[in-house]
Amino acid sequence: MLTKKYTDIRGYMLLLDIKKGFDINIEGSPLPELAKLKEPASVAFLPEIIPYVKPKLLVAQGDRVRIGSTLFIDKRNPDIKFLSPGCGKIEKITFGPRRVIKEIIIKLDSNEEYVGFDINKFSENKKFNREDIIQSMMNGGLWPFIRELPFRDIASPDFIPHALIVTIGNKEPFQPDPRVYLKEEIDLFEKGVFILKNLAKNLYIYASKDFINLDMKNKLVTHRYSGSYPADDPGVLMHHIRKDPSENRAWYINGQDVLLVGSFFSTGRYPVKRTVALAGSLANKRVHLKTRIGVPVNDLIEGRIADGNMARLIAGGIFRGYAASKESFLGLYETSVSVIPEGGKSELFGFLRAGYEKPSYSKTFLSYFNPFPLQADCGMHGEERACVNCGACAQVCPVDILPQFAFKSIVAADIEEALSHGMLDCVECGLCSYVCTSKIDLCGFLKKAKQEYYKDKA
Amino acid sequence: MFFEKLKKAFDNNRKHFRDSGKLKSMYPLFVALEAFFFTSENVTKDQPHVRDSIDLKRFMSFVVIALLPTFFFGIYNAGFQSNLVSGLSLGFWAAFSKGLIIVLPLVLVSYSVGFFWEILFASIRKHNISEGFLVTGLLFPMTLPPTVPLWQAALGISFGVVIGKEIFGGTGRNLLNPALTGRAFLFFAYPAKMTGNSVWTVVSKLKDQTVDIVSGATPLALTALAGTNEKIEVLLAQKGYGFFRLFTGIYPGSIGETSAMLCIAGAVFLMVTGVASYRIILGGVIGVLSTGYLLNMVAGESSAAWFSLNPFYHLVMGGFAFGISFMATDPVSAPGMENVKWVYGFAIGVLTVLIRVFNPAFAEGVMMAILFMNLFSPLLDYVEIKLRLKKRIPNV
Repeated sequence: MLTKKYTDIRGYMLLLDIKKGFDINIEGSPLPELAKLKEPASVAFLPEIIPYVKPKLLVAQGDRVRIGSTLFIDKRNPDIKFLSPGCGKIEKITFGPRRVIKEIIIKLDSNEEYVGFDINKFSENKKFNREDIIQSMMNGGLWPFIRELPFRDIASPDFIPHALIVTIGNKEPFQPDPRVYLKEEIDLFEKGVFILKNLAKNLYIYASKDFINLDMKNKLVTHRYSGSYPADDPGVLMHHIRKDPSENRAWYINGQDVLLVGSFFSTGRYPVKRTVALAGSLANKRVHLKTRIGVPVNDLIEGRIADGNMARLIAGGIFRGYAASKESFLGLYETSVSVIPEGGKSELFGFLRAGYEKPSYSKTFLSYFNPFPLQADCGMHGEERACVNCGACAQVCPVDILPQFAFKSIVAADIEEALSHGMLDCVECGLCSYVCTSKIDLCGFLKKAKQEYYKDKA
Repeated sequence: MFFEKLKKAFDNNRKHFRDSGKLKSMYPLFVALEAFFFTSENVTKDQPHVRDSIDLKRFMSFVVIALLPTFFFGIYNAGFQSNLVSGLSLGFWAAFSKGLIIVLPLVLVSYSVGFFWEILFASIRKHNISEGFLVTGLLFPMTLPPTVPLWQAALGISFGVVIGKEIFGGTGRNLLNPALTGRAFLFFAYPAKMTGNSVWTVVSKLKDQTVDIVSGATPLALTALAGTNEKIEVLLAQKGYGFFRLFTGIYPGSIGETSAMLCIAGAVFLMVTGVASYRIILGGVIGVLSTGYLLNMVAGESSAAWFSLNPFYHLVMGGFAFGISFMATDPVSAPGMENVKWVYGFAIGVLTVLIRVFNPAFAEGVMMAILFMNLFSPLLDYVEIKLRLKKRIPNV
């Protein structure tokens, strides 16, 4: 059903009541507390996990870099630069199969130096030239934070999109609470918004209907959502408000990254500050940590998680994050570490248990009546089977794709059919894979088909 | 203790079934057996890192659970009817144990022959055995008359599993409901054992005893005796089949179909847990009632007795309650789209009544109605998907 419901509140804000999606009843949300993390000994940049980028390294092991030195550029557009999040010596560059650059690890100096960027053009409060902003953001390493729907690649600068969406949401378990990372940072946020306004025809600021920040200008938030995960996704917003196919190529930026933009245009330095959430049922201190980009995972979890051996460390949320290890680092886009049990313990006659504590979308477990947050683990809870057309995936899909039909056309290599099903609208939330009775990774099919389609097009 | 011992037994014997083991070809059976006892130890490799607690085994087990009351009642009723015409004790245990003797062999044959085919195809195709057969294997004997010979039951389930399902690629890819396909095959191949008045009750022959044939007829068959001016309700009541008796199910018929009451209980359980679509079941009931009332309205002086039958009788007679609750709601052979599920259910209801009314030789309409609509479900899906995609703003 393409349900669209707008309520225009006081004439300046749209409330979207997102009917679909699903909030997993999971234990482990981070408390709205902010603690400062000690300075790490080293930080890293992870080119591998930035989608589509073809990195060309400009540094080598042993080189000295400052905060803001260029580490690599994107071969597809050499103006897009990726800057060093630390000052010190490049300790190691690790490669994966086929020479994929996995990590660029920088051992930090005790006194860090910055590369200065020229921001004089932006000192006055006036309307700025779009080209100037893009140029400065590219040189300042901020451009990769702006991404383009539907493929979620780094935005292509020569395109003027219908909208740039600033997303302020934490629907995915577990993401940092915007009330925490925006606290006392509203000046930077407003500065960032003031700059970003010039990039697109419209600037949408998309927040929860419950999000309140008393310092923020009233009219800053343009769209609000109520509903389940992934209601806060920019793709879900565009799916519900677009009127024309030309709006499909919208841009978006995470609320926390707007702070970086604001900071850059205030100080002329490459900003590295990050607020990271540490959460999940196996984290015994669930807090927000004030730290920096590329922080080692071990620094975040040390002394804060219960049992490291039984735990899966996820950089990012439980639906979209990637599996990390103690030795790894947080990527450019990740702002949380979720620690949940690895699971996979076998259980006698598990399929017949009442399941008061087993989280499920279906109504076949007594957990349906359990009001308390439950412990979810990484077990598959079953083996893969053929699709029986139960339709659970279509009930949760936030952008009204019919995953059970779309994935079949993908498997049959009928991409035209998959496209007409709205394959490109997929927000890659992972809910269809989550609810699947037959344990089919529907989201994986859609995501992979999207990526291949994009690479073919390019 | 038991848990560890069993787990160890599986772990120790796994090697015989793996790539180089002697019993390699039986690996799907080993996996199915292990999965029956223990939940999967697999964990997610990548995003999304968490998966729902439900799996197909639980999904299908819920259908089996919903069937159990009907199943046990069917056993009791088969024994009760048999003892009744044979002049034996009608006590609960006497009837139930007689029923077990009649029904259990059918169920065992259905499961064992069906599993044989499942394992054969799984071994050749090198995929796992799907839990869908847990349901098919129980549904099939419940649709049969208690007197059916075991070899026919074996043949029927073979046809249902192989022609109804496996040649299309197995569970999830079949067009028709496999259990009904098997039943339809027997119905047309061996009509003498599937229709008539003598097949519904197992008679334990005693010397010099005559059996009243009519007492062995199903209510649906009895209605054929009704003349144009007779009321079927009155005729049934004369034979002892009041509405309440038809509703509760103490009368001759296929093993599982007689008790509308317990079918409703199962249907409610399936609808509440979301395993079966309430749209199909309610659509079917609406289809039956509206067609019944429509026929009531056009019924004239000279029209057949069926026209003026109270539509609620259609719900409780024959296999409709069983079919719409457990057969029509099979998600694989039903449409996947939510709106056309109403159409699908409704059409099954309409067709059931039409077949009963306009083709009295063909007393049971629901089997043909469901199979017929199974064939139409891809088309129904196609239409709804096309309409839905038309509204979508393209993104290419």
